[in-house]
Amino acid sequence: MIRKEAVQLIAKEIGNQPIISANGFMSRDLYETNEKKSNFYMIGSMGLASSIGLGVALKKPKKKIHIFDGDGNILMNLGSLVTIGSLKPKNLIHFIFDNNSHESTGGQPCNSSQIELKKIADATKFKTYKITNKNEIKKIMLKIKKETGPILVMVKINNSKTKSIRVDITPPNIKTRFMKSLK
Amino acid sequence: MNEKVQREIFNLLVKKGVKNFVGVPDSTLKYFIDEGLKKEKILITTREEEAIGIATGMSLVGEKSLVFMQNAGFANSLSTITSLVQLYQIPMILLIGWRGFLKNDAPEHEKIGKIQPELIKIIGLESRIIDEKNMEKNCNWAINKLKKEKTVGLIIKRDFLD
Repeated sequence: MIRKEAVQLIAKEIGNQPIISANGFMSRDLYETNEKKSNFYMIGSMGLASSIGLGVALKKPKKKIHIFDGDGNILMNLGSLVTIGSLKPKNLIHFIFDNNSHESTGGQPCNSSQIELKKIADATKFKTYKITNKNEIKKIMLKIKKETGPILVMVKINNSKTKSIRVDITPPNIKTRFMKSLK
Repeated sequence: MNEKVQREIFNLLVKKGVKNFVGVPDSTLKYFIDEGLKKEKILITTREEEAIGIATGMSLVGEKSLVFMQNAGFANSLSTITSLVQLYQIPMILLIGWRGFLKNDAPEHEKIGKIQPELIKIIGLESRIIDEKNMEKNCNWAINKLKKEKTVGLIIKRDFLD
């Protein structure tokens, strides 16, 4: 399964609920496959999608807040898992799409292949799940719907040559419509 | 800046509607942070950029947010300020402790302390140095900027050695 497929299928299950997506190909895939006003496309500030998601989740406890992160992204902000794990927001669901590489910058290797991110998430008090192929998506999404957070889902993906279009909404506009969608 | 004034600044900002105080501790801001901890309004993060990310999320629900940090952390955060906060026009107060303000401060603070005014200027961050005389005026200034969706800096000088 490539990221674009995984993003499309998981975002479809999430429906109209908020998603904060990481920079690079992650936001581009989400934009091309499931564009909606409650998506916050973070086009810069690599590493911070989970922190932005945490800020929203703490302030909107009745809404489920989803984070679409990459392996390279979370390795830039591992401390975020510590902060989320210590605050335990029940409504935070963190997906890490892991291809063991920095695909957006040319597919360079990422050290997520050498360690176990899932175990780090276990140790930081997330409930953790794994999706390794397309057929597991519906089942896992159903499971986590009944579960209280913080939840972390490792999504195993492969690299591909497919490239989605750039997000062509201005950042202030991304912000404004996301804010309206939260009301 | 003395203890009493730092505590007053915290309470003044709360009174003016600042709801969220997120950041990394700094000894220059010790009593400000302590006042917030007492009132259970402080969230301590692992890095300054993380704090800015969280405060961004909190601002996205329409609440006034402040990030506190030492100027070393401000230097860490330059790219986050430009590619997130300024790019998306996220209103936020950055409260920065100015290490290296005194010439004989610890050596690790010397360089950033010296170039700080220029750094702030070059990234286009409107800021005010806040002290006991101007604190009410400058807090009001910062709150008014937040209402206009602006990001601003409030700087506290490290005017003592330890």
